[in-house]
Amino acid sequence: MTDVRSYIFDRLVRGVFYLLNLVAFYLLWRGHNLPGGGFIAGLASAISLILRSLALGVEAMPRILRMDPMRLAAGGLGLATGTGLGAMVAGRPFLEHFHLHVHGLPWFGEVHLGTPFLFDVGVYLIVVGVVSKMLFVFMQSTRGLRALVEEEERRYSSPLEQPLEESARAANREDDRHAP
Amino acid sequence: MIAMPLETALLIGLLFACGTYLVLQTSFVRMLFGFLILSNAANLLLLAMSGSPEDRVPPIAGAGSGPMVDPLPQALILTAIVIGFGVTAYLVILLYRLFLDQKTTNAAELYAEQDTTERT
Amino acid sequence: MHLVTLPLVVPLCTALLLLFWGRPSRGRRAMATASAVGQLVVALGLGIRTYDEGPWVLPVGNWAAPFGIVLVADLLSAVMIVLGSWTALMAIVYGSAELSVRVEHPLRLPLMQFLVAGINLSFLTGDLFNLFVAFEVMLIASYALLTLEADDWDIKQGFPYVAVNLAGSTLFLCGAGLAYRLFGTLNFADMAQRVAGMADDPRVVSLALLFLAVFGLKAGLFPLYYWLPNSYPILPAPVAALYAGMLTKVGVYVLLRIFGTVLPHELSGVHALLAWLAGATMLLGVVGALSRNFVRGILSYHILSQVGFMMLAIGFFTEFAFAASIFYIIHHIVVKSSLFLIGGTAALLNRTDNLDRMGNLWRHAPGLGVAFLFQALSLAGLPPLSGFWGKFAIAMEGLRLGEYVLVGISLVASILTLLSMLKIWNGAFWNAAEDREVCLWDWRWVRMNRVNLAMVAVSLGIGLGAEGVFQVATRAAQQVRDRDGYAAAVFAVRAKGVDVR
Repeated sequence: MTDVRSYIFDRLVRGVFYLLNLVAFYLLWRGHNLPGGGFIAGLASAISLILRSLALGVEAMPRILRMDPMRLAAGGLGLATGTGLGAMVAGRPFLEHFHLHVHGLPWFGEVHLGTPFLFDVGVYLIVVGVVSKMLFVFMQSTRGLRALVEEEERRYSSPLEQPLEESARAANREDDRHAP
Repeated sequence: MIAMPLETALLIGLLFACGTYLVLQTSFVRMLFGFLILSNAANLLLLAMSGSPEDRVPPIAGAGSGPMVDPLPQALILTAIVIGFGVTAYLVILLYRLFLDQKTTNAAELYAEQDTTERT
Repeated sequence: MHLVTLPLVVPLCTALLLLFWGRPSRGRRAMATASAVGQLVVALGLGIRTYDEGPWVLPVGNWAAPFGIVLVADLLSAVMIVLGSWTALMAIVYGSAELSVRVEHPLRLPLMQFLVAGINLSFLTGDLFNLFVAFEVMLIASYALLTLEADDWDIKQGFPYVAVNLAGSTLFLCGAGLAYRLFGTLNFADMAQRVAGMADDPRVVSLALLFLAVFGLKAGLFPLYYWLPNSYPILPAPVAALYAGMLTKVGVYVLLRIFGTVLPHELSGVHALLAWLAGATMLLGVVGALSRNFVRGILSYHILSQVGFMMLAIGFFTEFAFAASIFYIIHHIVVKSSLFLIGGTAALLNRTDNLDRMGNLWRHAPGLGVAFLFQALSLAGLPPLSGFWGKFAIAMEGLRLGEYVLVGISLVASILTLLSMLKIWNGAFWNAAEDREVCLWDWRWVRMNRVNLAMVAVSLGIGLGAEGVFQVATRAAQQVRDRDGYAAAVFAVRAKGVDVR
């Protein structure tokens, strides 16, 4: 964002980053019966990422979030759908969930595991992916949509920027050139 | 059925009035805020559908005994908020792109010479 | 039982796979096509089963109604899903014939699958709030598709679509909240039971009017259709075909469902209002079509006029009228999406779809001309094509009920439809001016026209096999109007106890 980076802000945000993600994990974990859950946890994690992008500049984000956020979201949706499909494979109604209760573990006491947790993780991934994608696009768009990085340009604007009649012809010329 | 508190009803009406007024403005930013207020008004209407929360416990496991607040409208609002969040982000970028393409933030100016027959 | 979930899950999983595949390629297209074929097979299976056995209910997550979410497939839902899958399949095949892999937008196919998932969910859902969610899935995918390949002129035309539908969604949310307040439930079956005997309650009437506004907006009913005719022409032809075929019909379907299954049948005032609004819609829609001078614009206005016919039949509110409306929906989806595809092919050959600069198509591309002729005459309602039977049934029912003015309006609208179709025919096909270039060397049109001819074959099949199709429509109408049967089917799941925990 700015050219001059504040060292103090950077260090502070780095500390907050880990703290926020810890909070996010806590929210995700308790979400089954208590207030919390994938959506809120995802928002907390996304906020942590946004803070870091404020400190480091949005260009540095691929180093921290090594996946394309859209793929992260798609993977989360896949995980959430997958927990529903699992029940279908077992011959049960779509999205039926199963639980496993484990008693007497050291440290944890009673542990309550189940496919709803996986579903929540899916929601978490969707929210992190979608929110960070949106806000990174917003941050980059301050320099105009045309100034988005190359990859964004390809994805968000049409390859057919000319009027209909021109573009059809252009597409066709291209076809002819590549014809075997 | 528990009655909706009067002040909630007034607030919903006020929010709808403000939202409608802003949506009908020509400036993009006002339209955007109008849609935000409208969706919040609708959410508040949904929330009011669970009745007055007085003397009721939150719908959380282990929050105490007694009649609970109806949790369904809250679930509906959460869904509606998430959807509204996505739509708002889309709307912001759409209006931004309209501004970049047409070099105006005024809808009246944008649609002034509406030539609907064909692109020029 | 899983058959009910598949129309929702298959497009969703396909969309995810397409997102992960990323770059367009022939293999990716083949996968999308295979998935669309699979969806069609699933939908046909669902249709056969529901025709024999009545509504199928699936409690999602094994939580029984009215507390859990249910997916309900009756014959009408199944018919709509069959039509949606068929249109989506044709749109995908047509799209791959039209665009080379190199210029295809990587998000077009995934978004189309998300759109289909939203459409199918709105046909399957058994409660009002999931209907809202399904509408939003559908609308967000449609916003994205609308602006995906748009240039600056297109975005300007598409903005009213987004704005009006956002307002509509807000109203829908309010309607859902008020319905919950009034009935204490959002489940269709539960509402149908609780509303019995409340037909005189002004709150029920105002709720019905609110729903009429919300879904009339989605369907393009008279005072609320402004968003449609300018936004559809900006879409690429295959996507426009999917929109034209399915999106407004989701609104019509929901009106059939809400007025037929959920709300009491005694709301005759609301029904009469619906019929008159439908009359205004069909007349103004077709007048708007006459005023346009480019193919997609004319066709977009025609959607409104046709929606008017379906709504008119809903407004008559007899079982026969419902059957006629469903028959008309079946006919309309095939014919209208086909006309958009034909318009796209014509625009490809003439390099424009402005009627002032089109021409010579009949001489050089008679195959396309034949396809257009069949579909246009069917849309106008000439026997023995499919449109005739739908209009005939609606008009007969109108005459039986003594609604002479409305029937008269519908006949006038039909004649004007024929006029505006002749406008396209004269401008694009019959016009033999020498300066109109027809780019026959553009070999893509041959494969695109095969899709058009497949659509024509289906439409002819509906026209010639009208007896059988009408039988299906009658059965679907019976199931939609059978409030007790619907509620019994939904609550039987609880009684039967799918639960084994």
